[in-house]
Amino acid sequence: MSSIAGISHTVQSPVPTVVGRGTNDAGKLAEKILIRNLNFYYGDNKALKSVNVPLFDRKVTAFIGPSGCGKSTLLRILNRIYSLYPHQRAEGDVLLDGSNILDPGQDLNLLRARVGMVFQKPTPFPMSIYENIAFGVRLFENLSRAGIDERVQSALRRAAIWDEVKDKLHANGLSLSGGQQQRLCIARTVALKPEVILLDEPCSALDPISTAKIEELIDELKDDYTIAIVTHNMQQAARVSDYTAFMYLGELVEFDTTSKMFTTPGDRRTQDYITGRFG
Amino acid sequence: MDRYVRRRLGNTIVITLSIGATVLGLGWLVLILGSLVYEGLSGLSLAVFTQMTPPPGADGGLVNPIIGSLMMTVLAIAIGTPIGILAGTYMAEYGKAAMLSVVVRFINDILLSAPSIVVGLFVYEIMVAPMGHFSGWAGAVALALIVIPVVVRTTEDMLSLVPRELRESASALGLPRAHVVRYVSYRAARAGIITGVLLAIARISGETAPLLFTALNNQFFSTNLNAPISSLPVVIFQFALSPYADWQKLAWIGALIITFAVLALSIIARALSASGKSS
Repeated sequence: MSSIAGISHTVQSPVPTVVGRGTNDAGKLAEKILIRNLNFYYGDNKALKSVNVPLFDRKVTAFIGPSGCGKSTLLRILNRIYSLYPHQRAEGDVLLDGSNILDPGQDLNLLRARVGMVFQKPTPFPMSIYENIAFGVRLFENLSRAGIDERVQSALRRAAIWDEVKDKLHANGLSLSGGQQQRLCIARTVALKPEVILLDEPCSALDPISTAKIEELIDELKDDYTIAIVTHNMQQAARVSDYTAFMYLGELVEFDTTSKMFTTPGDRRTQDYITGRFG
Repeated sequence: MDRYVRRRLGNTIVITLSIGATVLGLGWLVLILGSLVYEGLSGLSLAVFTQMTPPPGADGGLVNPIIGSLMMTVLAIAIGTPIGILAGTYMAEYGKAAMLSVVVRFINDILLSAPSIVVGLFVYEIMVAPMGHFSGWAGAVALALIVIPVVVRTTEDMLSLVPRELRESASALGLPRAHVVRYVSYRAARAGIITGVLLAIARISGETAPLLFTALNNQFFSTNLNAPISSLPVVIFQFALSPYADWQKLAWIGALIITFAVLALSIIARALSASGKSS
């Protein structure tokens, strides 16, 4: 049975609905998140139409498409951040390790600790670099002082920013450059040991050097995390992702391996977008 | 006349008028401050802060109204600030578009511009009349009613300036709403909220009308809030209207003290909001 029916092209068809980390015995890909028949509404405005797409475990999936196509909206469903706003609602299934996160009984704070998110604009909290990270950790875990110190350090190392900030951990997070702030935000997310990381145009406010650093970082992080990234930059999608999903006008047009999407896309619209004919 | 010359001429005229308006406005302020300093500074001595208000013709100071004003101001801030901050927090963080917020916002705007004598009469009705005597408590409550709308307004405005992304990224770490408000929104808006409280202090330290009907006055040194208590604005009002030169002198000194206190608060508020912006 194909669990991602409705998508025009799939990598390895049929994709098994295996729950768990990495690949299963047969070497097939495991789905960390499976989105089935997802509709999303901003008030009366339908922003997503029957979207079906998997996020494979420890792979990077890029979402591309013109502005307003619903790719950020889709990302904002995966950690239920949209639930902050009363007039936004989602219908359908979003299975995280097999259980539906759209269930009304879902504990949102626990979900968000498992599914971390980094936003377009770097958003360090108005506190020290150290506190930016420690503060979230303390909320979920009962660690000793040394334990927190260690967690802060490992998160900053993981986000490739340790060397730049190790001598000023108690400086205000806002004193960092834009690129550093964004890596601090990634460190903050990584520190909670999430399983999935959502990146919503993480480089669009950054210069090319900072962008390169973040892309390298994504490449390293995918060993441990399932990553979904929304980007306007097609070269970036091609560089960092294993899978690419193309969205247009609230629909998921095509999903496939990145190499296939960028060489021989199956849908005319995907081809037009990738070759720069619209969008 | 060609366009360029005409534009230059228009520019010169408008700038001249603007400068004229500024000079006119600031001129009065300088005159007021100048006469205050001229009349008040010469009488300023240690005795002003150590001796009680004298009968006409005797030596004395302003210690009882200074203490009374300080006590009622502190109490009014202690009552008004928590209420104001909590109401502002509700409106900015929880019930942004709720009917309750719309109504409270509207009423708050009315309160903000209500003549303070009305506040005095109101407190006279609800406290002074039932208790059967004027009291410092009633004075403090009247002042608190003036503090509340100022603090509600600035708190709501300052919290509304906190970027949405900052709240979202705090929520995305799995922080419960209360933590987001307490550790992120409040921190980001701290300078502005404190500025609001300082402005409220500045506002009430010169209020006379609400105290005339509530705290009344007391020519003796008293720290009993359950009895009539002296305050600087009321003493200034009474002494300035008196025919005695030494009382009038004390009124000038009292006015000078209030003005400098408010000036100092305004400078602190300015410095705080400037530091809040740059950090």
